[in-house]
Amino acid sequence: MQTADYARAKRARARNLKLWLAFLLAPPAFILIVFVFLPMASAVLYSLYDWDGLVRKEFVGLDNFADILFNPNKNSILFNAFWNNVKVFTSLMVIQNGLALVLALLLARNPRGYRFYQVVFFVPVILSTVIIGFQWKLFLNPVFGLVNKALHYAGLSDWALPWLGLPETALPAMLLVNSWHWFGFPTLVFLAAIHRIPKDFIEAARLDGASEWRIAREIIWPLMAPAVTIIVVLTFIGSFNWFEIPYIMNGLEGSPQGSTDMLGLLFYRTAFGSVSAGGSDFGAGSALAVLMFIFIFIFSVIATKYLTSREVELS
Amino acid sequence: MANIELRDVNKQFGDVKVIKDVNLAVEDNEFVVFVGPSGCGKSTLLRLIAGLEDLTTGEIHIDGERIDHLAPASRGLAMVFQSYALYPHFTVAQNMGYALRVAREDKASIDKKVYEAAEILQLTEYLDRKPKALSGGQRQRVAIGRAIVRNPKVFLFDEPLSNLDAKLRVAMRIELTKLHRALNATMIYVTHDQIEAMTMADKIVVLRDGIVEQIGAPLDLYNTPDNRFVAGFIGSPAMNFFKGKVSGVHEGGAEITLSDGTLINFPGKNGTLSVGDNVEFGVRPEHFSIEPGADGSLRGEVYAVERLGGETYIYLSSDSQKEIVVHATGDHRVAVGDRVEIGFTIAQSYLFGPDGQSVR
Amino acid sequence: MEKKRNAGLETWLMHIFLVGTALAVLYPIFMMVMSGFKTNAEIFGAPFALPKSFNFDNYIVIWNTTDVPRYLLNSTIVTLISVFVLLITGTMAAYAISRYRFRGSIMVSLFFLAGLMLPLRLAIIPLFVQLKAMGLVDNLLGLIFIYTAMSLPSTVFILTGFLRALPGELEDSARMDGASELRIMVQIMVPLITPAMVIAGIYNAVPIWNDFFFPLIFIQTPENKTLAQGLTSFFGEYSVNFGVLYAGLTLAALPLVVVFIVQSKRFIAGMTAGAIK
Repeated sequence: MQTADYARAKRARARNLKLWLAFLLAPPAFILIVFVFLPMASAVLYSLYDWDGLVRKEFVGLDNFADILFNPNKNSILFNAFWNNVKVFTSLMVIQNGLALVLALLLARNPRGYRFYQVVFFVPVILSTVIIGFQWKLFLNPVFGLVNKALHYAGLSDWALPWLGLPETALPAMLLVNSWHWFGFPTLVFLAAIHRIPKDFIEAARLDGASEWRIAREIIWPLMAPAVTIIVVLTFIGSFNWFEIPYIMNGLEGSPQGSTDMLGLLFYRTAFGSVSAGGSDFGAGSALAVLMFIFIFIFSVIATKYLTSREVELS
Repeated sequence: MANIELRDVNKQFGDVKVIKDVNLAVEDNEFVVFVGPSGCGKSTLLRLIAGLEDLTTGEIHIDGERIDHLAPASRGLAMVFQSYALYPHFTVAQNMGYALRVAREDKASIDKKVYEAAEILQLTEYLDRKPKALSGGQRQRVAIGRAIVRNPKVFLFDEPLSNLDAKLRVAMRIELTKLHRALNATMIYVTHDQIEAMTMADKIVVLRDGIVEQIGAPLDLYNTPDNRFVAGFIGSPAMNFFKGKVSGVHEGGAEITLSDGTLINFPGKNGTLSVGDNVEFGVRPEHFSIEPGADGSLRGEVYAVERLGGETYIYLSSDSQKEIVVHATGDHRVAVGDRVEIGFTIAQSYLFGPDGQSVR
Repeated sequence: MEKKRNAGLETWLMHIFLVGTALAVLYPIFMMVMSGFKTNAEIFGAPFALPKSFNFDNYIVIWNTTDVPRYLLNSTIVTLISVFVLLITGTMAAYAISRYRFRGSIMVSLFFLAGLMLPLRLAIIPLFVQLKAMGLVDNLLGLIFIYTAMSLPSTVFILTGFLRALPGELEDSARMDGASELRIMVQIMVPLITPAMVIAGIYNAVPIWNDFFFPLIFIQTPENKTLAQGLTSFFGEYSVNFGVLYAGLTLAALPLVVVFIVQSKRFIAGMTAGAIK
């Protein structure tokens, strides 16, 4: 063999390796490009055009965005929905994640029935939102629902309300249902984070005579910061994409009186049409999607940055 | 069975040169040990021979045929890894027979070869176990068995004993030497432990920073190191070095003044030294005597003594030398705080020039 | 002494709180299951009583007169195929990223991770147009593609972590034994990450099984509907027969709950895999 042949043999081996890598990467990359990246990029493009049903018309620049944000007939609906999403986020942070934190701290003390509680708290998490939404819709039925029946039996008939029918109670009821659905998830994430804190830290504090409350506040809480970051960001993304529970329990229009209207419902109505929004408008829908994406993305990045800055590096 | 030749071998990772112009010949049936401190490139050199890394430039020949363009398995080599790298989900027998299965040998012949290798290594009763159920020493033997089954031209070992405890390590050292004799095979063995190198090798290759510092038989390296690095690396405890200056050069010899003022005359050795050169004077701990020596003596105060009965280690210090180690056979009644005179002979001492090379 | 009594009280409060929460989870589920065995009259008359008899009349109605069995089948098909394709393609990408040094490998892994940040439901309009053009609207295949794509980033993320942790000497050893790259991957390395594949599979299978949003938009005909989505039409049809509705919910919840109870440890590890570093 000549020197050139050796070089050729080496190059052939390198080429085979490249082909092998291409074989590994091409199918997943193809799926991801066609069904995620391409639609995401198209959404931006779509938002810049006027649409007639499925047909794209002329380029209109940022008109769709301006219409959503500044047209006084429409933006009151948008702001109402946005404000409701804000309420969802703050309420879930307090009710759902607060409950989860308390439960995680209790479970971290390894009480009797530890495994049982873990499993039980997680059962609603694996159930479909649709099942849970309908189940509670039945329970909350003003006449036949178990909730009001229970109030009657307890002699509290006056308290029996059409929970989902009143603007004051519809959203809180849904938030409680959502918390019932999801609280097991942050509970177990927090619990896992607490378990990752070296036992020595907590035992050392206990030997120093610190109370359980102090240990929780001064040792466990700062050291479980990474889990808190993740849960805050996930709760935020979930709250501003909130769709299934309000859709199933009270329909597409956010009734009663827009008290349960959300950006997700508004987006759906705008994009695919409804009684109130009229026919489908892909341009305005895409513009709304782009705005939501930018808002969620920016907040997630800022929150992650801010929250990670208070995380303490273990070891 | 096989000789190996490395010609001008270079290896670069990005901008970092890890192997520099290595030339080396390994003879048939030889047991060659690559030794050097961590990061010296010894493992990379082994992986280049194995084909697990590609050469940047240079050539590798086995039995006169160039093989550096071939895939690892086509080079006729077998390798034993530091972590043993046993496939955890295969049984011992499946581990040992895997290469043959890949090569599509028929089942009967695989079983036969695996059984034969297992017999050599006393592994027959463990053939159906998973690696997890074996002790460290047994895993080590499976890794060797896996190499034997392939009947390779050359065995490569990458620090195979470093995960074993001290006692087992000594036993495996002897077992490997026996195996080498029994198999009559060429073996290349990488270690950072100079005792393993001295006890097992026919030939040692000392590496530092990707450069071959010296190649030779173990006792040649011990007796006539080419340079200060090899002198310090081979031998345990390490050689004592004393700084000094050339104070006179004469026909066929040189006169050295150590920093404590001691004058030493080296007849017959001056190399290319000239007056005023910085040199180092070296004496192995076992070559000092605890009495004034014929060719000269050094003085120090004892700050630690280790008396083991059969041998004694004495640690001295002086104003010009922080530590002098003396290794004497037998028991010596030396106490901490004693001022001691230790003697050396020119025949068993070394002189290194300003470039670190031995002065001959 | 006093301190000890305090500790006892604290423990009691803890147990009461935990038991209370567990009851708040279990009792509604229990009521849902029980109500599924009741007639309408029983539900209205004695809502909290046990059913008079554990007969399966409501279930028989569901099985014989509704499309719920069909929905169950569709959801099973979509979930199994999506997870299967997902694990194969996800493993391929993760293997290339984690086991080879090559130019642009960081770019490639960023490409896959970027998918984690993109909420695909906001791109539902272009996705709809695109699937329509590809003839994949009202087609289970369309859902399978979407779910696979949507779940790829997290799968690649989870599997890359596990594959990176495998020792390089195993691969080297197999290479010395003459195994091809494909063989090393399939026979040596991938079998060692099956626990991670289970985790990644569960992590994505549960949301896929439960998803309601994408079928709502892409599936129209009843024979193509999935369970979560199909329940909405079922609720429209039987809106006055509470017993049948409760039975339907119980039936829909059953498959996942059974698997969960058998494999709770893996489920919990799997579902929280994305959130625990």
